[in-house]
Amino acid sequence: MASGHYVWDFGAFFRNLPFLLSGMEITILVSLLAMVVGSVVGLFVALARLSKFRPLRMAAAFYVDFLRATPLLVQLVWVFFALPILVGHSLTPIVAGVATLGAYSGAYLAEIFRAGILSVASGQRHAALALGMTGAQVLRRIVLPQAVTRMLPPIASTFITLVKDSSLVSIISVAELMWAAQSLASVSLRPVEVLTGTGLLYVALTYPLSLVAELARRRFLAV
Amino acid sequence: MTYQWDWSALWDNLPLLLDGISTTVVATAASMAASLILGLPVALLRLSRPAVSWLATVYIELFRNLPLLVLVFWVFTALPLIIGYTFSPLASGIIALSLNLTAFIAEIYRAGITSIAPGQSHAALALGMTRVQLYKRIILPQAVVRVLPALGSMWVSLFKDTSILAVIGVAELMYQGRMVATDTYRPLEIFTGVAIIYYLLAYPQALGVNWLYHRLQVQE
Repeated sequence: MASGHYVWDFGAFFRNLPFLLSGMEITILVSLLAMVVGSVVGLFVALARLSKFRPLRMAAAFYVDFLRATPLLVQLVWVFFALPILVGHSLTPIVAGVATLGAYSGAYLAEIFRAGILSVASGQRHAALALGMTGAQVLRRIVLPQAVTRMLPPIASTFITLVKDSSLVSIISVAELMWAAQSLASVSLRPVEVLTGTGLLYVALTYPLSLVAELARRRFLAV
Repeated sequence: MTYQWDWSALWDNLPLLLDGISTTVVATAASMAASLILGLPVALLRLSRPAVSWLATVYIELFRNLPLLVLVFWVFTALPLIIGYTFSPLASGIIALSLNLTAFIAEIYRAGITSIAPGQSHAALALGMTRVQLYKRIILPQAVVRVLPALGSMWVSLFKDTSILAVIGVAELMYQGRMVATDTYRPLEIFTGVAIIYYLLAYPQALGVNWLYHRLQVQE
């Protein structure tokens, strides 16, 4: 061990807090947009996995397996640097970031939705169909109202993971919290305080969310 | 517009990517080993009396809620300035991944330990066993089997998470992919290839974990 005691100085961190907080706004925005995209993707993929048409089922299963078995960073870099070459059209960092986070969380949400739908006893579906309801009516009136409460805790966990994972879009230079922190760390010459403070800002965002998720788990998944 | 694919850039540089895979495996195995060991004292601390268990709770909540990328940068850039000692990128990466994973594994251990019916502990204590004997003979042998599938899931997500170490210059698969993509001007083929390599490596592991879940399902 070489040097002695490190002298902490959070001055630069607090002076630039507004800059970091504006990054945090982008973090929240990106996470929310990605959650919306992910929910839509997840719903369609879940329904595709439950369809009677085998090729559609297999395609949806492959989508889920592939996106869950590859790192998010790889997907992000692929969408931002490789996809534009293929389609001949470049994406803005924020669009690429939201699309990738949405596609990625969509794979996880699809499995949550599928498990939720399957958790409603099949006798209820048969009974509703026998009463003459259409497939869409069964889903809307019978299955979803019961499935939703069971799905809430894992959906909340997915959102927390999404907020944490959104830090990765700093790599394709979306100006969110992590990106702001890295620019400030080099400009302020106070990387220790800036990175430590940024970590605490993230925890201030995700910890209350995990308390809510825990409450939902106790409330809805009580055995 | 039709793109002219040229996969030779991928095949010619496959040895570099394979080198990256070995670093990916080393980072995964080292972080997993460290977290499997460190997770146990954290879990036991969490289960001990409230006067000290809050320490474990703070650790677990802090590191579970912190983005891995922030932690990786913190260990790589901030920690050396605080302690006055610089680690290699790979060592920094393994430290960051272990700090993160230990929090998750401690919770898995805790769930495994508390899942053993309390009647068994009472019976063992009534027979005159000490607490250490109780853990060694009764609780841990059963808990180990129950936590195995969850530990498997952790391994698979750790394997993917090591890709984040590319940002601090650890020459694992993702990093090698970026280098090769820049050198060959063929990012589409290289990054597609890297994604497929990750899939081919991680998907069988995920299938193995699924098998563990079915095989080791506890019936009470």
